[in-house]
Amino acid sequence: MREITATVLENKPIARGVYSLTFACGTEIKARPGQFAMIGVRGFPLRRPLAICKSEGERFTVCYRVKGEGTGCLAADYKIGEKLSVLLPLGNGFYAGENEKKIALVGGGAGIFPLISAIREYSPDREVYAYMGFRSREDLCMEYELRRAKSLTIATDDGSEGFCGTAVEAFAKDLKEVAPDVVFACGPTPMLRALKAKAGGKIPIYVSLEERMGCGIGACLVCVCNKTDGKHARVCKDGPVFEIGDVSL
Amino acid sequence: MVDLSVKICGVELKNPVIPASGTFGFGREFAEIYDISCLGAVATKGLTLEERLGNPVPRIAESRGVILNAVGLQNPGVEHFIREDLEWLKARTRVIANVAGKTLSDYEAICARLDGLVDLIELNISCPNVKCGGMAFGIRPESVKEVTRIAKSALKKTPLIVKLSPNVESIARNAAAAEEGGADCLSLINTLTGMAIDVETRRPVLFNNTGGVSGAGLKPIALRMVYEASRAVSLPVIGMGGICRGVDAVEFLMAGASAVQVGTRNFADALACPKILEELRAWCDSHGIRKVSELTGTLRPNGG
Repeated sequence: MREITATVLENKPIARGVYSLTFACGTEIKARPGQFAMIGVRGFPLRRPLAICKSEGERFTVCYRVKGEGTGCLAADYKIGEKLSVLLPLGNGFYAGENEKKIALVGGGAGIFPLISAIREYSPDREVYAYMGFRSREDLCMEYELRRAKSLTIATDDGSEGFCGTAVEAFAKDLKEVAPDVVFACGPTPMLRALKAKAGGKIPIYVSLEERMGCGIGACLVCVCNKTDGKHARVCKDGPVFEIGDVSL
Repeated sequence: MVDLSVKICGVELKNPVIPASGTFGFGREFAEIYDISCLGAVATKGLTLEERLGNPVPRIAESRGVILNAVGLQNPGVEHFIREDLEWLKARTRVIANVAGKTLSDYEAICARLDGLVDLIELNISCPNVKCGGMAFGIRPESVKEVTRIAKSALKKTPLIVKLSPNVESIARNAAAAEEGGADCLSLINTLTGMAIDVETRRPVLFNNTGGVSGAGLKPIALRMVYEASRAVSLPVIGMGGICRGVDAVEFLMAGASAVQVGTRNFADALACPKILEELRAWCDSHGIRKVSELTGTLRPNGG
């Protein structure tokens, strides 16, 4: 966990309203798949928690959707060479056990970004089956990275590309045949609920949650989620990845 | 080289920079990023007698230059803190235990429990007082005095800081009320109550609808209140509200503070406290200040 003044190497649109931001940390930093970074935007008191898509030595790539003023400034103002305030790597990340050879990834919308880091980590020596959902063809991005998986199913809500339907529906269709040892998922809460309904209890499923954050390191208790045991967990520090049965969705 | 040490109610702090309650937990997470023994003290997350789960999310929102929070005092309870975190934190720096309660007897009991165990106790009186129809203890001067008196009566060893709410008619009057109740020190300001709205959903961003506003945008208000409060009492004052840089801390010291707390800035920069400390040191050195405590209350108001 490091507080870094990074340098922007690239910040470009990759799909409708979605940007990819690559920066150099000036020092090599190791990150696990599923970990995230807090990215500062000048003039904004809160940093933006963004999933790490790629980490290569000192170079990191995060992707973000332009939603409000903060991400708007991030897209408009941070050109090559700009300094960027970054805290990383944060959170627990995805872990596949040694015997978990077949990994299914189920992602929707911005939820595909942390899963890209899992594809990069596990594709070389595991069988990775990726099910990635987008609203439409215009939203499709990072296809080059997604293709590293042994099998890739792209799903769109409107059927303009690949499977017509959600990533969970595409995954459920293959579930018996593929029989994954473990599932990693990230996406909107309704998607995660649907996943829990289809496959919960049958195989280990780890979900990465999203929540509005303050410090990003577990100190301020802003980004809690409800656990099924009635307690709270900190999404930033205890997560963002949780076993699907441990959290209330 | 400036001497940064300050004395608050007989407690010597190695410097006047303190992370503010609620932004720093009990210090463990920030200690993964830097050695927190460089800090003058740590003001802990607000503690209550029993564990509290706090409010549903979203608990945080952003507005221009400020944030809003409505965490709702989630904390593991004072016994858990004493058992798990106190010794660890004490081994590193001075400990200011921030405490809260729903009733006067809650305040009395938690102060009695922590008396002699921590360096200073900071009373959070912005929580709703059940007996007062939900109005915070910190709003009316009479209730500020009463809760201070009760807390002080439970303390034989540890000095008492009363953290003042800015959501009041007269900060000077409430400062004086805390002094009359027996406070040893004041800290201010706590957050201002505010709201953020999502126009697409027509709902407040915070689940709690309203929340406490903090951050850089509050600094002028906080400075004015520190100035007014410090002139109304003969107690040491710890100033806070929007401090982001060393020179902001200098302003608070000049306005009347003996030490400062840094809250919201910790979110934008995890190294905010050590950076502010170094900037303060550099400012003092470049201005020929030999002891940082010499700055306190040295403001020269116009027309005075």
